[in-house]
Amino acid sequence: MYIFKNAFRNTVRNRGRTILTGIIILVIAFSSCVALSIRQAAQTAKEEALEGLSITAQISLDRSAMMKQGQDNSNSSDSSDSKKDFAKMMNESSLSVEDMQKYAKADSVSDFYYTLTTSVNAVKIEAVQSSYSVNNMQSSSSSGSDSEKSSKASSDTSSAQTSTGNAPAPPQGDMQGGGGPMMGTQGDFTIIGYSADNAMTAFTEGTSKITDGQVFSQNSSEAECIISEELAEYNSLSVGDSIVISNPNDEDETYTLKITGIYSNSQSGVQQGGNMGFSTSSDPANQILMSYTALKAITDKSESVATTSTNDMGIEQSSALRANTEGTYVFEDAESYEKFEQQARALGLSEDYTVSSRDLSAYEQSLTPLETLSKIAGYFLIVILVIGAIILIVLNIFSVRERKYEIGVLMAMGMKKGKVALQFISEIMIVTLMAAIIGGAAGAASSVPVTNALLQNQITASQEASENMEQNFGRPMGDMPDMSSQSSEDAQANDSSANDKSASDSGSESQAQQPPQMQKTNYISEINEAVNLKVVAQLLGICVLLAAAGSAVAVTAIMRYEPLQILSSRD
Amino acid sequence: MAVIKLENVYFGYEKDKDVLSDINYEFDEGKIYAIVGRSGAGKTTLLSLLSGLASPTRGNIYFQDEDISKVNKYDYRSKMVGVVFQNFNLINNLTAAENIALSMDIAGSKEPSTAKKEKAYRLLESVNIPREESDRRVLKLSGGQQQRVAIARALSHDPQVILADEPTGNLDEQTQEEILQILKRLAEDGKCVIVVTHSPEVAKRADEIYRL
Repeated sequence: MYIFKNAFRNTVRNRGRTILTGIIILVIAFSSCVALSIRQAAQTAKEEALEGLSITAQISLDRSAMMKQGQDNSNSSDSSDSKKDFAKMMNESSLSVEDMQKYAKADSVSDFYYTLTTSVNAVKIEAVQSSYSVNNMQSSSSSGSDSEKSSKASSDTSSAQTSTGNAPAPPQGDMQGGGGPMMGTQGDFTIIGYSADNAMTAFTEGTSKITDGQVFSQNSSEAECIISEELAEYNSLSVGDSIVISNPNDEDETYTLKITGIYSNSQSGVQQGGNMGFSTSSDPANQILMSYTALKAITDKSESVATTSTNDMGIEQSSALRANTEGTYVFEDAESYEKFEQQARALGLSEDYTVSSRDLSAYEQSLTPLETLSKIAGYFLIVILVIGAIILIVLNIFSVRERKYEIGVLMAMGMKKGKVALQFISEIMIVTLMAAIIGGAAGAASSVPVTNALLQNQITASQEASENMEQNFGRPMGDMPDMSSQSSEDAQANDSSANDKSASDSGSESQAQQPPQMQKTNYISEINEAVNLKVVAQLLGICVLLAAAGSAVAVTAIMRYEPLQILSSRD
Repeated sequence: MAVIKLENVYFGYEKDKDVLSDINYEFDEGKIYAIVGRSGAGKTTLLSLLSGLASPTRGNIYFQDEDISKVNKYDYRSKMVGVVFQNFNLINNLTAAENIALSMDIAGSKEPSTAKKEKAYRLLESVNIPREESDRRVLKLSGGQQQRVAIARALSHDPQVILADEPTGNLDEQTQEEILQILKRLAEDGKCVIVVTHSPEVAKRADEIYRL
């Protein structure tokens, strides 16, 4: 006991040494606390975002593998044959609903739904023109500025669009889904058929809401649909009215849909991603929603009355409505998602398909600045600890040398070396703990504003880098393959979901107001709390380790000292 | 019976170069012994052997008939002998009373700290250090006062043997006399006082003189 009392007394009385050591440890503790807080904040934000994230995934055709396979085949055949073979291969490789349902039986899947998407024109009603689409269309056509004219122009233009190259948004699955390559005419409207209510994620998430009437019956094959408020107002449509849609490949082929409801979409405007071009059908206002069963009945009928022709490239084309089926697998957590691919492979999923999750990609993207900051904080912590440890060791070397005589006297009085060493360790620990408490408290108080300020810098740097890239390219950077993997409804719902889960988002600018390629990542830009018990424990651990490093020098010296030598050299 | 006995003791700092050779001394209780000799004769070395700070290269030292090479050196120094060093060797950042209390702690005293402090005051008063001086840091005391504190510290654990290295060196005559009176009184109280000295005055006051 007297050892600790003596240590405390020495700490208090040797103010100069104590203050110097204390300041060094205080700085280390403060810096370490901030660095640890940043790391902890990143970890917490990651866990919280992941915890609340509803993870969905799609099975997509591995186009690069298919291309490679196509190229291999082309070595042994001429160019036109290889293109035909590739198109045929893509069509044959599409997953059927039955296949998708088979993989949905995997243990990791908590829910499964699917959608059928097709593109149509309409008789007597016009597609809504958003400002962006109008501008876009105007720039690509010589129509006048009158909105009606531009609407007509767009209709004419879109009617003439063929998607043999860069595919327009709906149906999106042509890039990855089960519909095969879209080689047909693009319509002004997108019709999405849902397999179940929970597939209508925009409605389940609340970004879309019925304002009049009700949603169509899911199991009915009746041609019922719901349309957006904008489309209803634009064409003076109301619940109970009927609309006539036509096949863009064959305008004489028409179908009548009955409007059972009108819905509002809080994310109105353009929300499609992944298209280098843009069409009115990409606008959510021009989306007509119905049940999968009803839409399937239409596409099946279209198939039965279709005629076939051969295009310039020698590829056979059908006049049937181009439909794309896309399955969405829902998982409870990231772990289940990780297991899914293996389980799907076990259930027979070919290596020609890949499993991907846009939710996880968006989630990982949103964490980038925080994770970068966390890495920097980690390196900073290591540097601080190494420098801190060196300073403390040097300081202790001088301290022990300075107090050599005192050590000799204590030993000459009969104090054992171990006890002398314990006294020195206690002195270092007392100073360390006091400085760690003060430095830790100061670090805890300033960690949130410091982290947020640093995080803001990281985000600004990321955004500047992105802007520079855009300037270099002369257009916004797009992420083509991933962006096209989901229906617009899913994209909206998932984005809003990711926003909710983040601690706080910087994306105050509505994405819906931006053209497709300009969608910004919603970075986590603010943390609300950083220091928890884990950080405190880590901080204490670090300080104890530093003190131990300093003490080790003292202990080593004390164990080597002999009192007679010390006292003789003084005499 | 001799409290301390040296039997054929040899010591050298270097191999084959003995500073002390074939020393056979006996020290009894209740006497003052003076160890005298020219500079470099080994007086302080002898005191180091007696205090357990060094061990003989050959021969034995017995404390109350027990070979001290078989006794824990730290226990021997803290409990069995009291040493008054030539340079006092006090802990400078402690007060006079704290130096003495620390010595008691090292000796393993289980008394409460207030009792130890009270005992320290009494010991300091016995060597003519008043209470008001006892709570001052030793660095602020005069040489004579520091020497008295060193003597009080040597007595703190009530040892049978007091070893003093030049206890009157660098002190004025009056203080010298006071220190010698204290040592004499200790011998009268039954302690064995062994003094290493150059001073003929100190040697004259000794009951026995060993010349190196």
